[in-house]
Amino acid sequence: MKKKVLILGASGNIAPYLLPGLDPYYDLCLTDIVPHPDEKPIINVDITSYQQVYNVAQGMDAIMNFTVVRDDPDQSFHVNTLGAWHVMKVASELGIKKVVHTGPQSIRNAYDQDFDIVDVPRSPGVEYYGITKFLAMEICRAYAREYDIQTISFVFNGLGSRPTDKITEQDFPPFTIIWEDLQLACRLALEIESVPENFQDFNMLSYEGHGKYSVEKARQILGFEPTEKWENYFKRPIDDL
Amino acid sequence: MNVLITGAASPLGQKIVAELASNHQLRLLDNTIPDIKYENFEFIQGSLVDPSIVSEATQNIDVLIHTGEPPPNPPQDPLECEQLLLDLATRGTHGLFKTAVDMGIKRFIYGSTLEIFASYPDDTYISEFYKPLPTPEIYQMARYLGELTCREFARTYMVTVTSLRLGRLVLEEDVADRDLDLMWLDLRDAAQAFAGALKRDQSSSV
Repeated sequence: MKKKVLILGASGNIAPYLLPGLDPYYDLCLTDIVPHPDEKPIINVDITSYQQVYNVAQGMDAIMNFTVVRDDPDQSFHVNTLGAWHVMKVASELGIKKVVHTGPQSIRNAYDQDFDIVDVPRSPGVEYYGITKFLAMEICRAYAREYDIQTISFVFNGLGSRPTDKITEQDFPPFTIIWEDLQLACRLALEIESVPENFQDFNMLSYEGHGKYSVEKARQILGFEPTEKWENYFKRPIDDL
Repeated sequence: MNVLITGAASPLGQKIVAELASNHQLRLLDNTIPDIKYENFEFIQGSLVDPSIVSEATQNIDVLIHTGEPPPNPPQDPLECEQLLLDLATRGTHGLFKTAVDMGIKRFIYGSTLEIFASYPDDTYISEFYKPLPTPEIYQMARYLGELTCREFARTYMVTVTSLRLGRLVLEEDVADRDLDLMWLDLRDAAQAFAGALKRDQSSSV
C-alpha cells in the first residue's frame, strides 16, 4: 500500500515539478491556497491556520512542507515560522513520524565566502526570508527531538530543469538542483527510517564541480547521488551571441 | 541614560523599573497598564507587533531592555496563547530590534530563560558554552527563538546584545514555605542582573 503524503504548498515554485517523480510511488494529497498550475485537484489549506493543517493531515504518513513567503514583514513570519510550528505540532499530535521541511541556503549566509560548505552553524542575518526559515528549522529540530519525528530539511540554492539548450549569457546557475535529482532526494527522505538526532538538513545540488557546497552528507545519510555530471554542464554548445 | 523597557507591566518589568528608576530616564512599553502608577515615566500602551507603537517607543532611546515577558493576560484558549507567544517572540522581537537599530539604538538586553537547557539531565553542570536544547513547550521555545533573533541582530549590526538566561522567577516571600527549587530566581535579583548588564554595556570596548 502506498504511503499517504501531504504536500503543503503544492502549487508553488517547487512542488509541481516534483509530482512526476512522486506520484507513481505515493498517495499524494495536494494542498495550497492557490490553484495548481497544471490544474491538479487542490485542497485549500492555509498553513497559517492550525485547524486547517490538522484536519487535512489526519491519516497521513508524512508531511512535505514547500510553503514560503520571502520578503513580507508579517506573512514571512506567519507562513514560514508559525506555519512550520503548525506542521510539527500537528505531526506530534497525530503521530506522524516523517516530515520533509525546506529552506534556503541563506540560513547560513555568513559562510558565503567559504568553500566545501557542508554542515556549518546557521547565520541567516535579519532579512525576512532567511531568518524566518532559520527559526522554522529550529522549531522542527525541537519537535523532532522531543517526539521522534524523523525530519529531513532540504537546503536549496536554486532549482530548475536539466539544462539541454546551448549555453547562453544568462546561464544555468551552478548551485542548482535539477528536478529529477530533487525527486530522487524526496523519495529517499520519505523512505529513510531514521536520521541522526531525528533531524538533519541537507544541501541539495546537482553539480559539485564548483567545490562550494557539498552534498556529501546527503550522500552518506540519504544515499543521494546527483545524476548530472559536472563535465556535461560544460560540454554543452555555446549559443551564438 | 534613556532606557526603553518592554513588558513593563509584568512582575519582572516592574522590578526592573524599580531597580533603574533612580539612575535612568525610563520609557515603559506594554500592552497592559500596570497596577502601579508611574508618575515620572512615560508609559506607552501597545503591542510589539504594531509598527507605529514600536516606532514611537524607540525614539531617543539609548538602551533597549526587551524583557521577553509574556502578556499578563494571555488568551484563554491554549492554541491562541501559543500562537501569540510565538508571534511576539519572533515577529515582535524582529520588528522591535529592526526599528531600534534604524533609530540608532546600539545596546540591547534581552530576557531569556534557563529553561532552554531543560532537556539536559539534572546532574549535568550547564555553562554558557552548552548548546541550548529547548523542548517545544511554548514558554521555552518562544524565549529560545527570541534569543536567536536577537543574536542575528548582534551579528548583522554594530550593536551589543546581552541575553540574560533567567531562572524561574519568584518572590522569595511567596515561596518561603515551598520545597526548594534550584531554578528559582528572585525577581529583585533578576532586576539587578539587568542593571548589571546595563552597566557592563557602558564599556566602549564591548
